[in-house]
Amino acid sequence: MKKAAMLPLLLGLSSPLLASQMTITVEIPQLEAAQYYRPYIAVWIENEQQQPVKLLAIWQQKPDWLKDLRRFWRKTGRSDSALVDAMTGATRGPGSYQLSWDGLDNEANKVAAGNYVLFVEAAREQGGRSLQRQPFSWDNSAVTLQQAAEPELGQLTVTIK
Amino acid sequence: MKVRLSLAAAVFSVLAAPASSHTLYILPSHFVISTDSSWITADISAANMTFQPDKGVSVANFRLHLPDGSVQQAAGSHQGKRKAMVDVELSAEGTYRLELGGPARYFTSYQLNGERKRLQADKTERAASLPAGAENIQTTQSRSKAISYITLKQPTTTVITPRGEGLELVTSLHPADIVAGEPLAITLLLDGKAQAGVALELSFDGENYRDDAMRVLAATDNHGQFTYTPASAGRYLLEARYNADVATTRADRISEGLTWSFEVALP
Repeated sequence: MKKAAMLPLLLGLSSPLLASQMTITVEIPQLEAAQYYRPYIAVWIENEQQQPVKLLAIWQQKPDWLKDLRRFWRKTGRSDSALVDAMTGATRGPGSYQLSWDGLDNEANKVAAGNYVLFVEAAREQGGRSLQRQPFSWDNSAVTLQQAAEPELGQLTVTIK
Repeated sequence: MKVRLSLAAAVFSVLAAPASSHTLYILPSHFVISTDSSWITADISAANMTFQPDKGVSVANFRLHLPDGSVQQAAGSHQGKRKAMVDVELSAEGTYRLELGGPARYFTSYQLNGERKRLQADKTERAASLPAGAENIQTTQSRSKAISYITLKQPTTTVITPRGEGLELVTSLHPADIVAGEPLAITLLLDGKAQAGVALELSFDGENYRDDAMRVLAATDNHGQFTYTPASAGRYLLEARYNADVATTRADRISEGLTWSFEVALP
């Protein structure tokens, strides 16, 4: 309780929090498929109330299939098309991709220290859907976290420095 | 012969069938849409197994309720033997209600020489039609509807807000937000007021491919509520039925039915 009450103060003053940086490595696996289409992928962060605070990447092509990123669609896609448009990138083929997060939310404000969850969701036409969820503490501590591969996503690595 | 008769009755009067017969439902091809506009096809059928079409019923009483509250008929339809289909075009953002309803119907049952009989008449009309010697006369007001919600982009609440007429439901989560593993509280309302003792039957897709249908039988509590946590994502059907004695100018008894097809999304 006490800690929470002090947070706004801390945020205003503390430079250590500013220094934190998250690096995310998302892997798109090579898949054997008669007809392979590049997956749609969304990467975002939610707070403990399961509210989205930061969209890091959305790789997609046509709005028709955006709903197939089921969680992403509910949390962000259906309600914030401006953000989706701003963050949309082309779909990617198999490979390893790096993203980073500087602790700022979608409105470019610093997020409060606390517990968050990083989500990576992938959906492929004529393929499957995978969701990786990686909880983490955003409290200036350095850590490396990993999530095992899923059918549509390779190993997820998250490093906070 | 019996089957044909009840089918004919269903075709003409749509939701007139008593509780023991087939369940009427409306099942859209999509519950969630992420484009600016889209065509949707919905199946309308009466069935014993959930979402396993059995008897094609009339689409005459089908209506599409738009996010702005306006109402439309189907843009196209096909009357099949096992199911009817309607096409609707959704071109505005928000939540839509598909509804198969119709006005309340009245029938009077009576006994004559030990035989149970029925005629279509309310309390004010029945005297003219009842034969001499009719006993155990009871007039029932019967009203049922089948509903489902579709959301194009951002959910809205206009069409999920109760109208205060007949059996309706409100849910703790917007229909577009129902997710496996999260509790869903459903409140049944009768003429706008929470109703205890509404009989509920909850089922989900694929009953013919498992030994145990895994249906949930329940009744609403004193707050008209029932809470359920769907274990898995998929298409679900809630059937609600409420029968009670009343003393109105037109009926001695009411029988209100509501079926709701909904999607439980992946978390």
